[in-house]
Amino acid sequence: MPPPIASPEHTVHVLYQDYHRWLQHWLYRKVGCPHQAADLTQDTFVRVLGARNIDQLDEPRAFLMTLAQRVLFNFWRRRSLETAWLEALARQPESYAPSAEDYALVREAIEILDRLLDGLPLRVRKVFLMNRLEEMTHVEIARALSISVATVERDMKRALTHCYLTRLDAIPPSAADGPQP
Amino acid sequence: MNTRGRQIDSITEAAIDWLVRLDSGSASADDHTAFTAWLNADPRHQHAWQTISGLLDQPVAVLKEAEAQLPGQRRAARLALTSPERRKVLRNGTVALLLIGLGSYTLNRQLPLIALIADLHTATGERRQVRLADGSTLILNARSAVDIEFSAKNRLLTLREGEILVRTAPDPSRPLIVQTEHGQARALGTRFAVRRQDDHSELTVLEHRVQLTIANGVPQTFDAGASARFSAAGIQPLTEPAAPRAAWIDGQLDVRDRPLGEVIDALRPYKRGYLRISSQAAALRVFGVFPLDDPEAALLALVETQPIAIRRYGALVTLIKHRNEIE
Repeated sequence: MPPPIASPEHTVHVLYQDYHRWLQHWLYRKVGCPHQAADLTQDTFVRVLGARNIDQLDEPRAFLMTLAQRVLFNFWRRRSLETAWLEALARQPESYAPSAEDYALVREAIEILDRLLDGLPLRVRKVFLMNRLEEMTHVEIARALSISVATVERDMKRALTHCYLTRLDAIPPSAADGPQP
Repeated sequence: MNTRGRQIDSITEAAIDWLVRLDSGSASADDHTAFTAWLNADPRHQHAWQTISGLLDQPVAVLKEAEAQLPGQRRAARLALTSPERRKVLRNGTVALLLIGLGSYTLNRQLPLIALIADLHTATGERRQVRLADGSTLILNARSAVDIEFSAKNRLLTLREGEILVRTAPDPSRPLIVQTEHGQARALGTRFAVRRQDDHSELTVLEHRVQLTIANGVPQTFDAGASARFSAAGIQPLTEPAAPRAAWIDGQLDVRDRPLGEVIDALRPYKRGYLRISSQAAALRVFGVFPLDDPEAALLALVETQPIAIRRYGALVTLIKHRNEIE
């Protein structure tokens, strides 16, 4: 008679009990802040829940570290984006500032754009944002970046196609692909 | 994610073409008529159009709303999303380096510079002293960038951002010149500082003399103790004494009857994130000596002596207002 199959929830629970302190310590050494390390540990275990075949893990630490590295990469990515944004904002001439709520909304909007444009070359991103965000005409963009209007048009099409495909990929799989019984 | 070479259906492609055309800034009335005809020809066209034109609706609407309240937000968002340094950092995977900048002060560090052509820059909160190939010494203030180009004819330092102080080594055959987009400062002696700001640059002469030249202008010479502001519009001598203007090399901000806005400008390169001041608070007059390497202590000292209030949002946003502006 085969051994009873543990539910994924049970496996996650065991993993959490055995490794969450170790993982939190590992993350703490990476980010240097106990609160952030705790948040990132939670995020990592949320990812464990979404992983397949977790009841057949040979190397739980290596597995957790791989997931934690992805969580950490996203964290750095958001952090560096926020820093770049704040530094750009601080250089703008106006002397007033967004409210805390606007700040959160704007940060989220920029993160969405960053994910949609991920993988596009720098010039294509610039062209695209100048048009969609700053409402510059093709002629104005061509002049600002010293490129031809035809290049602006090509970059615009490439960026829109890219955003469309990225969105398409982000749509969650249909119910048929859900958890196996 | 790499989406290059992936195919999309022809209707979606047509919708993309239409969006690019209509928002190009040069769409004609005929284009609009043709677009309406295309849209009404097939319900699938309408569906594709909704998908494509709505791709960025939500984030763009948020940023447009923010722009209406605070101009500059869309531009800041675009600059952040196209920051080459950030992309380089992410690509190299050396993202952990980002944290190091938070608290590192590189003080009086001597770096030999072998290359004749080099780019130097300092991070937030970092000052750096560099010895050049000719024996001259260069001190970079925080968040400064300079290109160095030595040739047989001259020694050229191009200040791209921030502020530098130069102690020149004598070399009669090759003059040392510091240039910004606003003009050129040619050393006729040993020690001077140049600060680049957005619409002008400033010269401070600490020893001997410096000759200042702007485009289409007659060169003017400034002696030790003098300072001047220059741009394409002209050269204007400043009345402040020179020595306090160079106190930053010792990590101090020394101000005597200067507007608070200027004090905050000087603290900005030492503080991460977003430091803003209202125009009413910026006009207050300030006397005092403040520690650059501890911008938080400097802000605290200002709160104690000025009618201002400081508000913070998270670790990276600091706002300064006049107390009158706060209900």
